[in-house]
Amino acid sequence: MSRNKVVSIGLLLWYVAVSVWMAQAPVDPQFWLIASILPAAFVVLLIATHRFLPLSHTSHALITAFLTLHTIGVHYTYAEVPIGLWLDQVLHLGRNHFDRVVHFSFGFLLAYPMEELFRLSASIRGWVVYYLPVMTVLGLSGLWEIIESWVARAVHPELGVTYLGSQGDVWDAQKDMAAALYGALLSMTLLLVVRALRGAETALESEAAFSE
Amino acid sequence: MHVVERAQSSTEADHRRIALGLFLAYGLFWSVLAVAPVSRHDWLLENLLTVGLVTTLVFTYHRFPFSLTSYTLIAVFMVLHAIGAHYTYSEVPFGFWLKDVLTLSRNPFDRIVHFAYGLLLAYPLRELLVRLAGLRGGWSYFLPVSGVLAQSGFFEVVEAVVAMIVSPELGSMYLGTQGDEWDAQKDMAAAFAGAVLAMVCTAWLERNRTLAPA
Repeated sequence: MSRNKVVSIGLLLWYVAVSVWMAQAPVDPQFWLIASILPAAFVVLLIATHRFLPLSHTSHALITAFLTLHTIGVHYTYAEVPIGLWLDQVLHLGRNHFDRVVHFSFGFLLAYPMEELFRLSASIRGWVVYYLPVMTVLGLSGLWEIIESWVARAVHPELGVTYLGSQGDVWDAQKDMAAALYGALLSMTLLLVVRALRGAETALESEAAFSE
Repeated sequence: MHVVERAQSSTEADHRRIALGLFLAYGLFWSVLAVAPVSRHDWLLENLLTVGLVTTLVFTYHRFPFSLTSYTLIAVFMVLHAIGAHYTYSEVPFGFWLKDVLTLSRNPFDRIVHFAYGLLLAYPLRELLVRLAGLRGGWSYFLPVSGVLAQSGFFEVVEAVVAMIVSPELGSMYLGTQGDEWDAQKDMAAAFAGAVLAMVCTAWLERNRTLAPA
């Protein structure tokens, strides 16, 4: 078995193990079910397309990290994640910020896999490579907020915005989208810096090779 | 050879003439609606982006002329926005009329313009991405939708920031929401639906064009 396969299967096994563990007695089974459909479908899609879409290990690891965070959040309906409650107490934040952290991670962790996807499958070059992932993260965040509002109105119309993640904040949707935007911007900036440094390095190396 | 060249230069001249005509017609319309708006303060706020966008389009004309289809779509959207800005959106007479006829609980004009944003601007955005970034195939239909949704989301974020700075005590009652707690999501959904519709139509037209004998 090739090393590539071992890493991919290892990541998948990790995700399945976390999912099975977090499926035990979730705080709100209905919420757990609704919020687990999309990630499960996404993982199936990744497995089904891995032959024509060879994403790198970096991308697979980033996606797995994000899904792990989401799986933990869903088990505790996000509002009751212990580390978020602990942060709230220590820093006096007034609310559990775990969901905001995961929104940020959505942008920060998934912008790179998107960049890779566009590079591999859409053959684009130049600044658009950095712009499109940020745009897509923001677009998908908006779509997520729309779906969230539909679910909230379908499942608990009487609760209004207090249901699902908003924890009573009227601007919750906007703050969530902004968090994802910051995450994506940070990740693309880091990528640009890393590539610029690496580019400078290879330029120096080729210069040295040339002078020799 | 010469005939082809002449034909090309004449279409270029036509393109310039029509684009200039659109610009002048819009300028005239905009000037009329700039007189005595319902709220000068709101009008200024709404027109910051308008002036920025139109200036950008004028200055990039030589480097990146959009197709006339795109310019027309943009102009139609800008006309709708000029009407909305004149009446602070929540007091557009046509919206009140719609509200009475369809017995709605609010003036729906802003929702219509959010829908129009997706419907009318997804095509120009696609043209930009196809010509600048060389997008092809499925991506060239997916990414404009994603872009419209992203810009709508960004707009809602900016709106929230402005509302929190200008009048924090009003909360979501400020600016456009007309008291609906799901206003942001509905606005984004309207733009999303508009963009999907525009891309379905574009895909259908492109398919017919490529299938048609040359």
